[in-house]
Amino acid sequence: MSAAAAPSARRPDAYWGMAVFLVTDAVIFLLLLVAHAFLRRQGHGPGAGALSAAAMLPWSAALWASSAALVLAPRVRRAWASAALYGLGALLGAAFLLGQGLEYRHLLAQGHTVTSDLFFTGFYTLTALHGLHVFLGLPLLTALATLAARGRLTERRAGFREAATLYWHFVDAVWVVLYAALYVWGGP
Amino acid sequence: MSLILPTSPPESGRVARWLASTDHKAIGILYVLTGMVFMLLGGLEALAMRAQLARPNATLITAQTYNEVFTLHGTTMIFFVVMPMLLGFSNYLVPLQIGARDMAFPRLNAFGLWLTVMGGLLLYASVLVGPADAGWFSYAPLSEKPYAMGEGTDFWIAALLFAGFGTTLTAINVIVTAIRYRAPGMGLWQMPMFAWMAFVNAFIITFALPCLSAALLMLEVDRRLGGHFFSHGGSALLWQHYFWLFGHPEVYIMILPAWGIISEVIPVFSRKPIFGYEFVAGSSVAIALLSFAVYAHHMFVVGLGRPVNLAFAASTMLIAIPTGVKVANWVATLWKGSIRFELPMLYALAFIVQFTFGGVTGVSFAVLPIDWQVTDSYYVVAHMHYVLMGGTIFALLSGLHYYFPKVTGRHLTRSLGMWSFWLVTLGFNGVFLVQHALGLMGMPRRVYTYPDLPGWGLLNVLSTLSAGLLGVGMTMILWNILRSLRVGEVAGANPWNAWTLEWWCASPPPPGNFTDLPPIRSRRPLWDLAHPEDTDADRPRRHDQTHGHIRPEEREHHQ
Repeated sequence: MSAAAAPSARRPDAYWGMAVFLVTDAVIFLLLLVAHAFLRRQGHGPGAGALSAAAMLPWSAALWASSAALVLAPRVRRAWASAALYGLGALLGAAFLLGQGLEYRHLLAQGHTVTSDLFFTGFYTLTALHGLHVFLGLPLLTALATLAARGRLTERRAGFREAATLYWHFVDAVWVVLYAALYVWGGP
Repeated sequence: MSLILPTSPPESGRVARWLASTDHKAIGILYVLTGMVFMLLGGLEALAMRAQLARPNATLITAQTYNEVFTLHGTTMIFFVVMPMLLGFSNYLVPLQIGARDMAFPRLNAFGLWLTVMGGLLLYASVLVGPADAGWFSYAPLSEKPYAMGEGTDFWIAALLFAGFGTTLTAINVIVTAIRYRAPGMGLWQMPMFAWMAFVNAFIITFALPCLSAALLMLEVDRRLGGHFFSHGGSALLWQHYFWLFGHPEVYIMILPAWGIISEVIPVFSRKPIFGYEFVAGSSVAIALLSFAVYAHHMFVVGLGRPVNLAFAASTMLIAIPTGVKVANWVATLWKGSIRFELPMLYALAFIVQFTFGGVTGVSFAVLPIDWQVTDSYYVVAHMHYVLMGGTIFALLSGLHYYFPKVTGRHLTRSLGMWSFWLVTLGFNGVFLVQHALGLMGMPRRVYTYPDLPGWGLLNVLSTLSAGLLGVGMTMILWNILRSLRVGEVAGANPWNAWTLEWWCASPPPPGNFTDLPPIRSRRPLWDLAHPEDTDADRPRRHDQTHGHIRPEEREHHQ
């Protein structure tokens, strides 16, 4: 975290509060991921072979692009542009959730359920928990967009802005790890 | 610096305002009250178990009910008694000790409290559908279908998720408050001891609670969605690893603030500054790190293999060192002190004896053959109650008697307090001391009854009778609190002649806590103010203790 990344050198309290909360969240994801990596060896199904990294990539890219939108949003000069960027972030997040839903539908149609195989027990638990995080982030980004559009995203709300932004970046970073671990990595 | 609106505990009798309050003092008090209510329930469950175990082959309670009762008792005492009380103390004291107006996030603070209360209500709602019966550590596959078909376990999981989330939010609050809201002039190394411990404790909570949340999440996926994490091809051991990865840090979560209270009480009633401040604080950090490194000592009989067992045996012996450092420092603080046997001090002294005893039996488990012999026996029950009840609960009682004047402006009645202290102390030791012997004789824990083996009936009936004494003592403490609220002797701002910041404001503290702050140039700002000729700031190293806090008759000797 360089000081240049922040509009003000001194981060608001809410930023650090969120940072500590995300540490706890990261531990949850880490433990679920470790359990999954440990247990998938005992799976009997095709495991990661049933997943298509290429098909999920555009949806993932949408989520990662939303982080870029949030980086730019506080830096553009005009209020409407800032609001538009926050709105874009929310839309891209929603698009990712849509992709996740399509992915689930596709997998369930193939008979891969939570109960079908150890690999998918972990897969659904991890991706659903991550999806829940994305889902909870959408109202935050929508609120940021609305506030920015009305010119209400002032320094007084810096805490909310920075905490919500940090949360969203964290959720995207988690997806980088999950995408790599579930879609790209062939397993132990 | 975000804007903090000064709030205050509402006037008594306005229930709705209490419930809606975001003031750290009101929240702290509500946390402690929550703990007390659940302590009554947990205590009744304990008495029910002791009644069933009083005689061999008793049939007071069925086996199934007994399982439910000990599960409820363990879960209640840990998650809804000890943790809320300690968090209540942290909430009440941390801002006062560091000279802040409130916590960093007052509303988040209230949210954390109500999540915890919600968790407790959920746990007891499960009584209607048949509560969980797999013990408080709920080992898979016992907690899985088909062994636990009812919804009790699901309630149990939900209760712990709620309470764990609330605890985490409170920990976030403590961390940010301690880092950002210290009064001008107070560095981390000037924070009072309790604030230090609460601060370190918040870090342990941050890393440990999510381990429980992850494990509970997986268990619920298994139970409700038919996943395979812990059974049906998964690994039952995984649950144990994850549970204890939370569970061992948890026992240190439950003892650190208690140590903080003891580290406040002992110096004040010995009329000396704490001996080795840096070591008492620093050993907490060592313990926080080590607490994760010892978790598998709960699993010595699982068959993890020799190297793993040896590594965890070594780390378990290692963690006794920073713990011993603390005990040694408290004893060194007592050394040559001018000791006042007030009620908080009596509880603190009982704490030192009982906690050390419990700690020694704890180290005995690190010797693998001993562990293999006594694991899952009453020896373990005795050990954990010595550190958790003889330790934490006694420290909480010490803190309760110590801070009651600050919270309410009135003293607790001394005569009643003395009676209850001796009843509680004798009762507690009577209940659990004999259980070491029972465990060594081979009585397993978590059995609803036992055969009439030589000596077992006698020791168990002793234990049960002592439990009655303990119950009477606890009831007297409660009576003392209720009575003293109305008729207690009025205490001033600083009734014990203590030197830390929380005794600077009025009792009870006004809205916003402080109208002004003394200059903070050392660890004991009030001492500096009272003794301008001999301040801590001028003499930062006071280990030799040759002035001001020793008995007058020794004074010439030191000059």
